[in-house]
Amino acid sequence: MTRAGWEVEAGDDGPVEDGKRALAYRADDGALALYNDYDRGRSILRTPKIPGTWSVRTAPAPGAHPLAAAAEVAGYGTFTFPYGPISAGVPEAGKFEVRTYGERVLGLVPVGGFKTRSVATSVLGLPVADAGLRVERMAGNLSASHVSAFLAAAESAEGRPVPTAELYVRALAQELQRLYNHVRQIARVAEAAAQNVGLAQVHALGEEILRLQGSVFGHRWMFGALLPGGPARRVDAADRDRLEHALGGIGAEFDVLWSLLLESRTFVDRLQSTAPLSKESAIASGAVGPTLRASGVGWDDRLRAPTPPYTDLFVSLPNETAGDALARILVRGAEIQASLVILEQLFDRWPTEESITEPAESPVGPGRGIARVEAPNGDLVYDVTVADGRVRRLQFRSPSAANWPAFAASMQDAVFTDFHFAFESFGLVFAETDG
Amino acid sequence: MSAPYLGILLTAAVVGLFASAPAAVLARRIGYGIALASSLLLLAVAIATLATGPVHGIAWTGPLGDPESLQLDGLSAFFALAASLVWTATSAYSIFYDDRRSPGLAVCYGLTLGAIALLVSASSFLLFLIGWEIMTLASYGMILQATGRGDRIFSAAFVFLAFGEASTLLVLIAVAAFHVLSGGFLEGPVSGAGALTSLVFVAALLGFGLKMGVAPFHLSEWLPIAHSSAPSNASAVLSSTLTLAGAYGLFRVVSDLGSPPAWWGGLMLAIGAISVLLGALFASVSEHTKGLPAYSTIENNGLILVALGVALLAEANGLTELAVFALFAAFFQAIAHAVAKTALFLSAGYVEHATGTFDLSAVAGGAKRSDPGETEGTLVAALSLAAAPPLAGFVSEWMILESLFQSYRFSSPEAQFLGLLAGAAVALAAGLIVVAMVKFVGFALLWKPSPGATAPRAAGLGTTVGAVGGILVGLGVGAPWILKGVAPGVAAFAHAAVTAPVSGLLAVPDGWSIVSGSPFGILSPPVVPIAIGLASVVAWGYFRLGGGRRTRTVEPWMAGSAPGRPGETYTSFGYSTGIRIMLRSILRTREVRASVGPVTEAGLATPVPYNVDLEVLDVFKLFYDDLVAATAAVSDAFKVAIMPGRLGRYLAYILLVTLAVVVYVAVAA
Repeated sequence: MTRAGWEVEAGDDGPVEDGKRALAYRADDGALALYNDYDRGRSILRTPKIPGTWSVRTAPAPGAHPLAAAAEVAGYGTFTFPYGPISAGVPEAGKFEVRTYGERVLGLVPVGGFKTRSVATSVLGLPVADAGLRVERMAGNLSASHVSAFLAAAESAEGRPVPTAELYVRALAQELQRLYNHVRQIARVAEAAAQNVGLAQVHALGEEILRLQGSVFGHRWMFGALLPGGPARRVDAADRDRLEHALGGIGAEFDVLWSLLLESRTFVDRLQSTAPLSKESAIASGAVGPTLRASGVGWDDRLRAPTPPYTDLFVSLPNETAGDALARILVRGAEIQASLVILEQLFDRWPTEESITEPAESPVGPGRGIARVEAPNGDLVYDVTVADGRVRRLQFRSPSAANWPAFAASMQDAVFTDFHFAFESFGLVFAETDG
Repeated sequence: MSAPYLGILLTAAVVGLFASAPAAVLARRIGYGIALASSLLLLAVAIATLATGPVHGIAWTGPLGDPESLQLDGLSAFFALAASLVWTATSAYSIFYDDRRSPGLAVCYGLTLGAIALLVSASSFLLFLIGWEIMTLASYGMILQATGRGDRIFSAAFVFLAFGEASTLLVLIAVAAFHVLSGGFLEGPVSGAGALTSLVFVAALLGFGLKMGVAPFHLSEWLPIAHSSAPSNASAVLSSTLTLAGAYGLFRVVSDLGSPPAWWGGLMLAIGAISVLLGALFASVSEHTKGLPAYSTIENNGLILVALGVALLAEANGLTELAVFALFAAFFQAIAHAVAKTALFLSAGYVEHATGTFDLSAVAGGAKRSDPGETEGTLVAALSLAAAPPLAGFVSEWMILESLFQSYRFSSPEAQFLGLLAGAAVALAAGLIVVAMVKFVGFALLWKPSPGATAPRAAGLGTTVGAVGGILVGLGVGAPWILKGVAPGVAAFAHAAVTAPVSGLLAVPDGWSIVSGSPFGILSPPVVPIAIGLASVVAWGYFRLGGGRRTRTVEPWMAGSAPGRPGETYTSFGYSTGIRIMLRSILRTREVRASVGPVTEAGLATPVPYNVDLEVLDVFKLFYDDLVAATAAVSDAFKVAIMPGRLGRYLAYILLVTLAVVVYVAVAA
């Protein structure tokens, strides 16, 4: 199976020797691994050997260290500082074990498994539309990306053609959610820097986007909206006009807020040179998405591995080279503006035929499909096997899973108080990591 | 004039302290018992002296035809009081603590106590010097009794001896110059100001400052105690009373020198302020149960110098009232520190007894001790050193800051500015020392023990620490009355009649408050505990009678994880790493990483395992290391130049030196 710009190799979980195609994320629990060769613009997806056809990734037990191994730091006065799983700073249940001699982070181990719902196992045997209901609940704020990737993989597995209008609706949902996620991340960083006025205003902007999503798709998180038989047909000309008008206002307001935030020295100072990630270590640790682009690697699936409608759109590629928390936030700010441009193009090119796929009456051939989507926090891959209209196998590699090692690497030698700036600048989500 | 039997008792106390040394050869406990009895006797005589007037003991004619005698006046009685208070505690403690086979520690202990008593009660500087030298040598002997690595003990003891002899040399110079000034060795005021007086002052300041361990000689204080882990009773005697002997010497000489020029006070204030800051800073990052109190001693002796410096500056500026107040502050600081520090060192010995370690990070996590008095006594002592009301350390810190606040009264802008800087240093140090004391109490006392570990009981040790804590509370709460008792000492120092800065104000009865200036600031130490007590009674009554609140015992919340997993508790090192990193330019913080073992896993988020060490450095130690290297290089070059094995060159050198001496004597005559 070869797709535009990237190829898939199945059935191999051996280590990769080539230093450039570094291990992105690998745990011993049978997750997907995606190797990116940025020089050649190629990616290789390796699916681990899975004993038995139905076996998929199993849920890690809480307290284990499924995400990354920490540096074994010993020395006088060193100890492990446990942070979480329930803490005021991190909005999700997730734990960090910080190896330290006080104040300075010598090594950091993110510990997941507290939000495991075993989505990938629980969807086995379900019809695609029903499975989608669970997949999109993987992480509410990333629902559009997950469900789009899942549906694309399932459709590719079944060989089902998809109407252009539906692809446009998915792109619309994804871009809206990208707006929301980036705005949310900026608000979180502003909160960490105690920019309370900025925080409140940016949060209000995020809430406005959520309400917009709710009014167009019938659900604030767009749950069910993109699935076969869902209410996606509501995006009619009137909706699009309303969206276009509202987004224009949001864009103007964001531009003002963004310039005000960047003019605040206390905000910028706190982010600058915090949790730096060099280009080399970004590639080496397998970072994806805005994290990767902030470290000077220009990779975006919407450009490098585009699927319709992105093949027909102009997508700009915001890029920074500093690799610090500020660079990651700057990339997010620029992507908000880029997404607004993409949304305008979507409305301009909206297909005239308004047909929506109905659930398949007669199941088409069994098969395996792989889809790749640029989620707001990075490269998301789904590998789905469908037979008789039902999901037989499901694996995915979430961008958060890929970014944890990069986060751990960037925190080396940081101080405790850097934690929130670093964490929020990465946009990591425990829910989609744990699945 | 007091009763003649007091003189006999004074002689008996000094002789008894010395006699405890040979008695210890028979049995250690007998030696410590005699030391305890003699200390109590000295305490009684000192109190009687302060109450009734100077006491004269045995008198004889010295080898140089000088009249020698044992005597106590107000000044020496005050220091004898402070020292004997400490010794009473350490001697009682030693009876339980010292379980060595050899009597070496007990013998050296007795000799040190006797020597300090001798130098305090000496009527002449000659006798003072004899006591001073015996004290240095006997203390050297005590440090050699330490347990641990032989080479470290020896080198630490050697450092102590080197600094001790340097101090003796400087004191000798001061005494010689004093002899030229007064024509004798007898302690007493001399008149006249000139280069020679200033020489006496500078030599005394440096010589006694060496023993007090103030900057830049603070290595002489912390290094022998911390590096060798000297026995804890010895550490207490060294840190509380040996440095007190230095302070006494300085007080005595300065008192005898008459009207001081302003720069004396300025110099003293500057040295004191630097010591205060350095001592507090290094105490806060120390990881040693004895190194931490030893650094705190540097801070406290610096405070004594600050107060004395303000007094001298005020005197030079004609501000008698401020000078007297600062003197009272210096006296009170001396006794408050001596007592509190004793409790801390005895507590360190207790911790060592129970856990077998001096390492604060290792102490926390071991077995927990439950002897009555120990925790309370240590807590009180640490609070006092951290200047928490209503304890003695708070009163002295308040008095010293009050003195510094009034430095605006000085006439010259330089002195005002110096007072300002010193005030800032003292205030900063007061904050830093809180970190140190919280660390000591938190990690040496209040940790949660690892399950199953049991500690050996050491009831006698704990009780002593508790008793010292009680004394501290008494000193603090009764500060106005203590100050009245100290007044004869200050009067003897100033050679003038003084009244304690004590009065009443508002609803506070007369004599219950300490007043600085007229009035500048006011503090009533007895009212503080009364207020705290009343508030406690109200709170207790509310919860007791109201019954609205019940005590609920819960496991500590660890953010959803199971608490108390090994290796997940904050270490004492981690507690002060913030200071190490923030003040890295002063502390010269350096991180040393050494990788351990081969890299087996190529996982990229898995950095190489390594060992990390965050080191701090005392720049003064660097200076001394350089000094030692330079001295060694110079003497080596000298050796090669003069004594290369050729007789001719060596003889020529001897001849030249002899000629030079002859010429010098001829010209000088």
